[in-house]
Amino acid sequence: MESKKIESTSEVLFSIKDLHKSFGNHEVLGGIDLDIHNGDQIAIIGPSGCGKSTFLRCINCMEDPTSGSIIFEGVDIADTSIDINVHRENIGMVFQQFNLFNNKTVIENIMLAPVYVRTKKLRRSSKSGDAPKLTKADIKKEERERAMALLRRIGLEDKADVYPSTLSGGQKQRVAIVRALAMNPKVILFDEPTSALDPEMVGEVLDLMKELAKEGMTMVIVTHEMGFAREVADRILFIDEGKIKEQGTPEDVFDHPKDPRLQEFLSKVL
Amino acid sequence: MTFFAEIWELLSSAKYMSMLFTGLGTTLVVSLFSAILGLFLGTLVALVAICPDSPLMKLPKIICKVYVTVIRGTPMALQLFIMMYAIFAIRGFPQEITAIIAFGINSGAYVSESIRGGILSVDIGQTEAGRALGLPYGVTLMKIVIPQAVKNVIPAIGNELIALIKETSIVSMIGMYDLTQAAKVIGAGNNMASYIVPMSVAACFYLAIVYTLSFGIKGIEKRLRAGDRR
Repeated sequence: MESKKIESTSEVLFSIKDLHKSFGNHEVLGGIDLDIHNGDQIAIIGPSGCGKSTFLRCINCMEDPTSGSIIFEGVDIADTSIDINVHRENIGMVFQQFNLFNNKTVIENIMLAPVYVRTKKLRRSSKSGDAPKLTKADIKKEERERAMALLRRIGLEDKADVYPSTLSGGQKQRVAIVRALAMNPKVILFDEPTSALDPEMVGEVLDLMKELAKEGMTMVIVTHEMGFAREVADRILFIDEGKIKEQGTPEDVFDHPKDPRLQEFLSKVL
Repeated sequence: MTFFAEIWELLSSAKYMSMLFTGLGTTLVVSLFSAILGLFLGTLVALVAICPDSPLMKLPKIICKVYVTVIRGTPMALQLFIMMYAIFAIRGFPQEITAIIAFGINSGAYVSESIRGGILSVDIGQTEAGRALGLPYGVTLMKIVIPQAVKNVIPAIGNELIALIKETSIVSMIGMYDLTQAAKVIGAGNNMASYIVPMSVAACFYLAIVYTLSFGIKGIEKRLRAGDRR
């Protein structure tokens, strides 16, 4: 926690400019500017209904922004004419409700997207004339091994062939996190990852996220877990009424809040 | 007592039985092929209806909406008459095919709504998770959403098939020789001179088909549901 990277030293991953989002006449995001650097761990806090989840969902265009730009790897992904799927392969997302595929076993959940994406690339390369070195079966075998390794990491290798409905909430969320990891994403977005969990399962999920943070994974986390935000994040954003009202290091935001709304919010949640 | 005696008389008469089975054949053929056509049309329309809005999809969406509204909003008998006496009023055009087209189109409208409902009943989070991993919409639909929707749709589709089989009796109104028509002809005949007996036997035939079908559907449902609880 003490040796946090200074943000400007590393490469900018996302450059978000003047992001607006409205649902009908209701403006949820009223102009957000944010740079996310490689290796950042950003926690987004704020009262419910403030637009923090909407903002997170705009980052990978799950919600199409009404206006503004999101430059990711040199491409404005807010532009609806680009192929968003290619970029989403590099942006993991973890949901409040886990959203594991109910019709797939645990290991299939993890393998599905990597196998699909690699097979698609394989087809493309074989079309362009390069002799493909791998067959689809090879890819499947490799991805199964990788998925197994990921399951071993979270201690759930014995659950590989069961369906998600038999897992506990904490297990589901940990599988959902390694499912995102299986794509080797450049960043993972977490949308209130512990809000739907029973209290005794929050710890196991937060521990896994702490591990990822230590490994330097870029993370953007919408959360209500203030203690966790303080411990893991190197930057805290306070969003209220669709705008970033205050941002800074955990010390600045939690110990010396300047914005009156933030002071009020913290007095309620801490 | 005479009622049962007459039933026995009918069942033991080779002539009457062959009339009933000829009619049953027409009923089954029309039901089967219009069910296939209906499932095909219904799936197609449902897929168009759930596609995200885009300029390209605008016209197909409107066509599908009009189709479902018109077909569900008008009587089946009328649709059949229009097919038979207006659209396919061609000398020598097989009546069976006209009936299959009419019932298939009718069934498709209902099936499409069942399928659409089944797809919408799958939690939106499943789609979002697929899309967030970089899977295209179509792949997410085929690999994640539709396999789950099928389970939800089977009971409604079963209902529709059952309704379809019974509704095909309307073809007797245009003089086609189906099971209902066979019963009518037998009842009007000189020997029987009673409607209640052949009608009751025909009713039992329908009942037997429907019962067998619903039994089969239950089985399919059970097998599909067993897959996700282990």
